[in-house]
Amino acid sequence: MVEPILRIENLYKNFGDVEVLKGVSLTVEEGEVVVIIGPSGTGKSTLLRCINYLTVPDSGDIYFEGRKIEYKQDNLSIVRQKIGMVFQEFNLFNHLTALQNVAIGPSKVKKINKTKALELAEKELLRVGLQDKADHYPAELSGGQKQRVAIARALAMDPKILLFDEPTSALDPELTGEVLMVMKDLALDGMTMMVVSHEMGFAREVSDKIIFLEGGVVSEMGSPEKIFNNPDKERTLEFVSKITRLGPIDSSRGGSDI
Amino acid sequence: MREQIAFFVSIFPALWEGLIVSLKLSAGALILGFTIGLPMALARTYGKGIVKKIAIAYIETIRGTPMVVQLFIIYFGLPDLGILIDRIPAAIIALGINSSAYQAEYFRGAIQSIDSGQMMAAEALGMTKKQAVRHIILPQALRIVLPPWSNEVIYMVKYTSVAFLIAVPELMARGKMIISWTFKPLEVLFWVGVIYVIVLSIIAKIVDLVELKISIPGFQMSREDHY
Repeated sequence: MVEPILRIENLYKNFGDVEVLKGVSLTVEEGEVVVIIGPSGTGKSTLLRCINYLTVPDSGDIYFEGRKIEYKQDNLSIVRQKIGMVFQEFNLFNHLTALQNVAIGPSKVKKINKTKALELAEKELLRVGLQDKADHYPAELSGGQKQRVAIARALAMDPKILLFDEPTSALDPELTGEVLMVMKDLALDGMTMMVVSHEMGFAREVSDKIIFLEGGVVSEMGSPEKIFNNPDKERTLEFVSKITRLGPIDSSRGGSDI
Repeated sequence: MREQIAFFVSIFPALWEGLIVSLKLSAGALILGFTIGLPMALARTYGKGIVKKIAIAYIETIRGTPMVVQLFIIYFGLPDLGILIDRIPAAIIALGINSSAYQAEYFRGAIQSIDSGQMMAAEALGMTKKQAVRHIILPQALRIVLPPWSNEVIYMVKYTSVAFLIAVPELMARGKMIISWTFKPLEVLFWVGVIYVIVLSIIAKIVDLVELKISIPGFQMSREDHY
């Protein structure tokens, strides 16, 4: 059996007295698209941030490409280069143009020569369809465009896995489509992705596995077919139908139903 | 009026020399203040344990004591310890140290105003904290800090007048000297004031131009004059 690209074992994280993660275990295979759903405050974002140690877990192990990440010994920079991250609030670097935002990782972190880094950045912007916005600053871009630049920025590091933390939650509804489209293309290209999102259309059509996180643990996980139509737990069904009702699935946004 | 102008022309060469000294003191002090202030701001923001405590103690001590006391300690006090410093370097050191504490606080405010997501995104790319501060945080913070920092420039040019207390021949000291020759305090001080106003207006204008030059869409910067 092939080693999963990411394996999380028994992850715990408290913030003060609040237990956020209470023993999360899961695996992500190479090329897999995993969507994480769950009520707010249940630790979805914390889970993602623990994976690249932006948040340091209290206990539990994370194996990336078969190797355990050791917080104390590992050079986290090297691990993080291979784990791309896309944030809800985009977090584009405000003082840099779209092109420079994408180029700065390769140039400053990977120390690629600047001209090459800019060429690479151009290619990545093309990939998200924003080559004509290369010279624009973040403040001059729409939310959807910002998020696509943020995706290009993550891609420029040539990551092995991409983590998306509610990538469309800060967007106006009419702008989510362009971002989901880019994500869908990435999935089709075989990118391994872990997506915290309540875009059920995307989850249903693109994901290989849906994880229902609740109360700091994996409550249920399975194929989208199973989670949507035939979950083991009553609670899963209840939650899925609730968010599906709250955010009506627009097939033009997340793609057509399976 | 003609008489006034003629009087001004007669005292101008001396005042001009004083002005040059004032500007040299200001520039020296601002550079020294920046050189000490920025690391202090970083130490206070990102430092841990003793480093942070030292930065806080330094900033609060300097801000908590009058500039004249600092100037006198350096010029009259240090010789007791065998450290003799000439008037002009002593003035630059005193003004610079004083300025460094205020500059540190301006920088700290600007650094802390940068959204925490910027640091997170930089670290997620694999940047070390140092790289993130250098390439992401500081370029933004230094742009944000320019308007308040330009106040420091203007204060500094005016503060250099305290150097006349240790007989540095800056603008104010020249004015005082001219008064003692001419016995015309009101006229002399009037022209000294006029020179300060003109010079500071020019500096404010230059700061505005610099702001315009480095401005980036999305960074709110004041377009107002700073007096």
